[in-house]
Amino acid sequence: MTKKKLLLNIFGPILSVVVLIGIWQAIVVWGNVAPYIAPKPWDAINAVTSNWSTLAPLTWWTIKETVYGYLVGALLGAFLGVVLNKIPLMQRVLYPLLILTQAIPIIALAPPLVMILGFGVMPKVVIVAWIVFFPVTVSVLDGLNHVDKDLMTLAKVFGANSLRRFVVLEMPAAVTQLFSGLKIGATYAVTGAIIGELAASSGSSLALYQRSASGSLDAAGVYGTTLIMTAIGIVWFLLVVGAEYIATPWQRRSTARQWRRGAKPVVTNN
Amino acid sequence: MSSSSLLELRGISKTFASTTALSTMDLTIERGSFVSIVGPSGCGKSTLFNVLSGLIQPDGGSINLEGRDVIGATGHVGYMLQKDLLVPWRTVLGNITLGARLKGKVTAEDRDQAKGFAEKYGLGDFLNHYPSALSGGMRQRVALMRTLATNHQLLLLDEPFGALDAQTRFEMQQWLLQVWRDTQRTVLFITHDVDEAVFLSDRILVMSPRPGRVVDDLAVNLPRPRTLETLVSPAFTEIKSKVLHQLHHERAL
Repeated sequence: MTKKKLLLNIFGPILSVVVLIGIWQAIVVWGNVAPYIAPKPWDAINAVTSNWSTLAPLTWWTIKETVYGYLVGALLGAFLGVVLNKIPLMQRVLYPLLILTQAIPIIALAPPLVMILGFGVMPKVVIVAWIVFFPVTVSVLDGLNHVDKDLMTLAKVFGANSLRRFVVLEMPAAVTQLFSGLKIGATYAVTGAIIGELAASSGSSLALYQRSASGSLDAAGVYGTTLIMTAIGIVWFLLVVGAEYIATPWQRRSTARQWRRGAKPVVTNN
Repeated sequence: MSSSSLLELRGISKTFASTTALSTMDLTIERGSFVSIVGPSGCGKSTLFNVLSGLIQPDGGSINLEGRDVIGATGHVGYMLQKDLLVPWRTVLGNITLGARLKGKVTAEDRDQAKGFAEKYGLGDFLNHYPSALSGGMRQRVALMRTLATNHQLLLLDEPFGALDAQTRFEMQQWLLQVWRDTQRTVLFITHDVDEAVFLSDRILVMSPRPGRVVDDLAVNLPRPRTLETLVSPAFTEIKSKVLHQLHHERAL
C-alpha cells in the first residue's frame, strides 16, 4: 500500500465522521431544536464524560457481553460450517433448524432465556452468539463448498489424507469467506447485547440507563449512551478488520513479510 | 520388466456405464523418456492419467512402476494440469513445498531443495512472492517446480501450457526440456498441439475414441537439444505430418 493510500484510508473515515457531526451541530443550532429533543454533539459527549463513573462499569458489561457472545458465536458458527460441509446429511437435517433460529424474533427470545439463565451475563451472551453464528456458518460453508475441486484432486494425487487436505488447503481457502461472515457478525454483535440488556436486565445496564434518561427527557444522556454503544460496535468491527488484515496478507501484498521463516529480502516493484 | 523400463501397463481397461473409456491397454515407458499423448477428446487420455495417478481404479490389468504394483494407490507420481492450482496464501517457496506439506511437515531439506530448483530455473528472485504477483508463465514454472519437488520419477503433465499465449508457450517448452534433461525425470505429456508433441517428445502415442485406445506409437528421432531450427526442419514436418494423418485418419476415410 502506498503512503498516499494509507493516509486516505485513515483520514477519509475521520473526515466523514467530522462532517457528520458538523451537520448534526448545524441542524440543532440553526434549526433551533429544543435541547430535550436533540442535544448538540458536544453536549451528548459531555453527558458521557461527566457521568463516566456511572457509565464506565455499564459500558464494561456491554463490552463483555458483546465480546463473549461474539467469540462463542464465531466459534460455534465456524464449527457448524465445517460440520455442514463435511457431513452432507447434516445439511438436510441442520439447515432448516438454522433457518428456524434466525426466523425467531430476537426480542422474543429474551423472556425464555431469562427464565432459563436468569438476569446475568449469560442470556446476553446467548443472544449475541445467536445472532453472530449464522452469518459465520453461512460464509464458512460457502467458502468450503467453493474450494477448487482440481486442487483437491491434485492433493489426493500427491498422497495427502483428508485431514491434511482440510488443514493445508480447505481451511485457508475458506478464510477470506470466513472474514466476510465475521465482519457481518461484528456489526450485529453490540445490537444483540443491547437487545439482551433491554429485555433481560434487572439492575443496571447501558440499555436501562438510556431508557431512564429518555424517561427524564435527558436527550444528551440518550444520545450519549447511543454514542457509547456505537463506539463499541465500531471498535469491535475495526478489530475484526485488523485481524483480517493480519491473517490474509496475500490479499494486499505481493511478497510475504520478511520476518517469516525461510524468507529472504526481496525488492518488489509494487 | 527390462532394466530400462520405468512403467509397464498390462491389460489395463476402464469402462464407465456403457462407455469403454480405455480398452485393454499395454504400454511400456522407458526411464528418462519424454512421451506425448495426443488424441481427440474422449480418447481416454485423461482416464489413463487418472488410472496412473491412482484417482480411479481400472477394471482390470496391472501397473508396474519401478517394480511396484501401484494400482489404486496414490502418492507415486508428479502431476500437473493446465490450471496452475497455486494456492494464493502460500508464497512461491510455500507452493513449491506444498507436496511435502501435504505429506507432513516441510523440512529444512525440502526448503533447500525448493530454493535450489527455484534459483536454477529463474524463480530465485520470487521465492517470497505470492502467486498473485506472478505472470501466467511464471505461475506454470512454479507449478512445475512443485511437481518436481515431489521427487517422483514419473511426471504426468496434462496440457500444462494449454492456457499460455504462443510466445510464452514456446519459451516454456524449451525451459521444460532443459528441466527434463537436468533432472532426468520421465515425462508423460498430454497435449492437443501436435507441434508441441513433436517438438518435445522422444515418442508420441496417438489415441482414438470409442473405444479409447492407442492407435499409433511413433518414435521422434529429432536431434537434441531442440531449438527454433528444429521447428522448421524437414524431419520435423515429416513426423508432424504422420501424426496429423494418424489423428485425422478415421475422419478422412
